[in-house]
Amino acid sequence: MNRPRSRHCDRLAQPSARPPSRAAEGRALREKGRSRKPPGVSWGFFVSMKILADSKGQMEKLLRPHFHSAACAALAFFLCAAAPSRAQSATTPSTDAPAFREVVDEVGRSVRVPQSVRRIVSLAPSLTETIYALGLQERLVGDTDYCDYPPDAQKKPKVGGGINPSLEKIASLHPDLVLVIKSYNLLETVHSLEELGIPSYATDPHNIDEIAASAKRLADLLGVPDAGATVADEMRQRLADVQLRVGALPPKRVLFVIWTQPLISVGKNTFLADALLRAGAVSIVDSQQNWPQVSLEEVARLQPDYLVFAESHGESASREVEKLATLPGWKILNAVSNRRYAVISDAVNRPAPRIVSAIEELARQLHPEAFIEKPADRREKTDRENPPSRPLHKALSTNGDSECIR
Amino acid sequence: MHPLTFRKLLLQCFVLLVVLFFVVVIALKFGAVPVSLYALGRDLLRVIIGQSSQISSDYGLIVQNIRFPRIILGIIVGASLSVAGTSFQALLRNPLADPYVLGVSYGAGVAAILGLLAEPHLALSPAFAALLAPLCAFLGATATITAVYFLGRRAGQIDSATLLLGGVITASFLSAVITFLMSTVNSGNTRGMVFWLMGNLSTSFQKSVYWFLAGGFFLASGAIYTTANDLNLLLSGEREAMHLGVDVRRVRLVVYIAASLLTGLAVSVSGAVGYVGLIVPHVMRLIFGSDHRTLLPTAALGGAIAVVVADTIARIVVAPNELAVGAVTAVVGAPLFIYLLRRRFA
Repeated sequence: MNRPRSRHCDRLAQPSARPPSRAAEGRALREKGRSRKPPGVSWGFFVSMKILADSKGQMEKLLRPHFHSAACAALAFFLCAAAPSRAQSATTPSTDAPAFREVVDEVGRSVRVPQSVRRIVSLAPSLTETIYALGLQERLVGDTDYCDYPPDAQKKPKVGGGINPSLEKIASLHPDLVLVIKSYNLLETVHSLEELGIPSYATDPHNIDEIAASAKRLADLLGVPDAGATVADEMRQRLADVQLRVGALPPKRVLFVIWTQPLISVGKNTFLADALLRAGAVSIVDSQQNWPQVSLEEVARLQPDYLVFAESHGESASREVEKLATLPGWKILNAVSNRRYAVISDAVNRPAPRIVSAIEELARQLHPEAFIEKPADRREKTDRENPPSRPLHKALSTNGDSECIR
Repeated sequence: MHPLTFRKLLLQCFVLLVVLFFVVVIALKFGAVPVSLYALGRDLLRVIIGQSSQISSDYGLIVQNIRFPRIILGIIVGASLSVAGTSFQALLRNPLADPYVLGVSYGAGVAAILGLLAEPHLALSPAFAALLAPLCAFLGATATITAVYFLGRRAGQIDSATLLLGGVITASFLSAVITFLMSTVNSGNTRGMVFWLMGNLSTSFQKSVYWFLAGGFFLASGAIYTTANDLNLLLSGEREAMHLGVDVRRVRLVVYIAASLLTGLAVSVSGAVGYVGLIVPHVMRLIFGSDHRTLLPTAALGGAIAVVVADTIARIVVAPNELAVGAVTAVVGAPLFIYLLRRRFA
C-alpha cells in the first residue's frame, strides 16, 4: 500500500487521538469468553462517532466504486490511524494475549484476529468463492444472499446483502472474523462490526495478479498457506498458458457490456479491464470511471470487433443482441449486425480465483485459432463444442447478411 | 382578455422556431464524434434534392442513426413535458404543478423495472422485447395518474389541493417500492434501472416509435389547445369560469387525460427528466404572457429547446462518456426555479 497520501490524512488522522473506548474493552471481553454483554458506551465513543458522522457523507462516496486513489489513501490511512487506539485498549484486559495476533489487511488497517480463525462470515460472493477454493468451507458460518457459487454456498446461513447485511445476524453467528472487500462493502459495515467487537479483514485486489496474491494472503491469515500457494500457483499457471496461446496475437478490440440502454461499460482501472487484456482483448472504452456511461456514437466510431457479455446463462445475451439488432442506433455496429459477440460466465465480475476460467472462456471465443492444437492438454470441452474455425455464436446469425433486417 | 392576433402568435412561434433550428444545428455539430457542419449540410442538401439517397460521409451513419434520432427524441420529450406542465398548472391553479409532482415518473419507473425483471422470462420477439420497458413505463404512468385522479376526488369533484397531495404521497410510496425492488433484486441488474429515475435520452428506438411519439404528441396537445380559451377563464377560478359558460368538468377531463398521455409518452422513452415541465412554462409566461392560446405553442417550442440544449450538454461535458440529461435539467432547473420564486415574491 504505497499510495500517495493526501493532505486529507492529517485531518482524518485526528480520531486516533480519542481515548480508548469502553466499547473496545467490551469487545475484548466478548472475544475471550464469548459473552453476549453489549459493548459499553463512553464519551469517547460519542466523540468518535461524531467525527465519523462528519466524514460519513464523504466516506459513503468513497466506497462507491468510483473512488480516486488519493481518496483511497485517505481512507486507508484513516482506518489505519483509527486502529492503534483500539489495539492498545484491548490488550489491557486480555490475559491470554497470544491467542490473538495483529495482521495488516489490504487497505492498511491493522486487525486483531484470533490465532486460529474457526468461524468466518463472508460479505461478498467473491470472498465466499475464495474460501471454497481454499477448501475452508467448513469454517464458513455465514455468507450473503448473492453468494451462489459453488452451489453449496447457497446453503450457508445468510446475513443479507453485502451492502446491507444484518448486523444482528452476523453477531448471532459468533464469527472470529468477517471478510469484506473494499470495492463492494461499505465502510459503515466495518465500523458497525468494530463497535460490536467483531474483527473484519478487508481485501482490495485491483487486477488479476492481485486477486491471486490476495487469495494467497487470505490463506496465510487463515492458517492454510499450502492451499493458498496451490490456488495462486494454479491461477498463475493457467494464466500463463492462456498468455502463451494468445499473447502473441493481435488483441481483439471489444466492448464489455454491463448494461445496454443506457450503455454502461467498464473503465480501465478495473480488474475486468485486466481480465480482458489477459484474454487477448482490449476494451475500446478508455475511461477513468469504473462504470462509465459510454456514448453510443463513440462506440459506433470505434467499431469494436466483439461485444462481450458476462452472464450466468448465455441464452439471454443472445436475446439481448437480437434486441439490439432491431434498433437503428445499434444496428450500425458491425459487431451487432454480424452477431459477433462473446458470452462468458459472470465469474468475470468476481475478483475470485474462478475468474481465470472466465478469462480462458473469453480467450477461446475471441481467438479460437489459438486453441486448435493440443486439445488433450485442456480439461474443458469447449473446443469440441465450437468448431474453432469460426467464432462462437456466429452460428446464431441465421441469415448471414443481417444488414437486411431493417 | 386581449384579442389574439394571429400575426402575434406566428411571430412568437417563428422566433422560437429559429432558436430551435440553431439549437438543433449546434446539437448536430457537437458530440463524441466530431462532425463538419459544412459537409453535413452539403450531404443533406444532396439527399433533399434527390441526388443521393443517403448521407455518404463516414460519420453520416452516426449522425443519421444516433444523433439525429436523439435530437428528435429530445424535441418530443421537451415539448410534451412542457405542454403537460403548462396545462397541469392551469388546471390545478397551482404554479408548482408539474407532471412529476403527481408521481407519474415513479409510476413509470416501477412498471419499467417490473418489465425489465419479467422480460427474460417471457418469450417475446426481439423487436417487441426492446419495446417492453417503454411500454410498461407508459402503462405505469397512465395507471399512476389515474390512481392520483381518483385520490384527488372529493365529493365527485376534483380538488386541486387534494390532488397535489395525493400525487406527492403516491410519488413517495412508489419511490419506496423502487428502493425495495432495487435492494432485493440481484445487484447486477440495478445499474440500468437507475435510468428510469435519472432521465436519459441515450436509448435507441425503432423508427416507428418516433412516429408514434410524434402522433401522440400532436393528438394530445391538439386536444389541450382546443381548451386554451377555457383554461384562460379557469385561471380566474372554477366558479367564475363556470358562470362564464365553461364546461369545467369536460375541460378538466380532456386536459387531464391529454396531459397524462403526454407525460406518459415522455417518461416511457426518457425516464424522469425533471424540471422541464415546471420551469419552461414559467419562463414562457414571463416572456410571452399567460394567454394559453400563445402560451401552449410557445411552451412546447421552449421545452423542446430546453431539452435539446440540456441533452447536448449531457453528451459533451464528459465525452466520450455521457451524463444523464435529467441531471443537467436538475442542475440548471433548480437554481432557476429558486430565482423565479424569489423574483415573484420580491
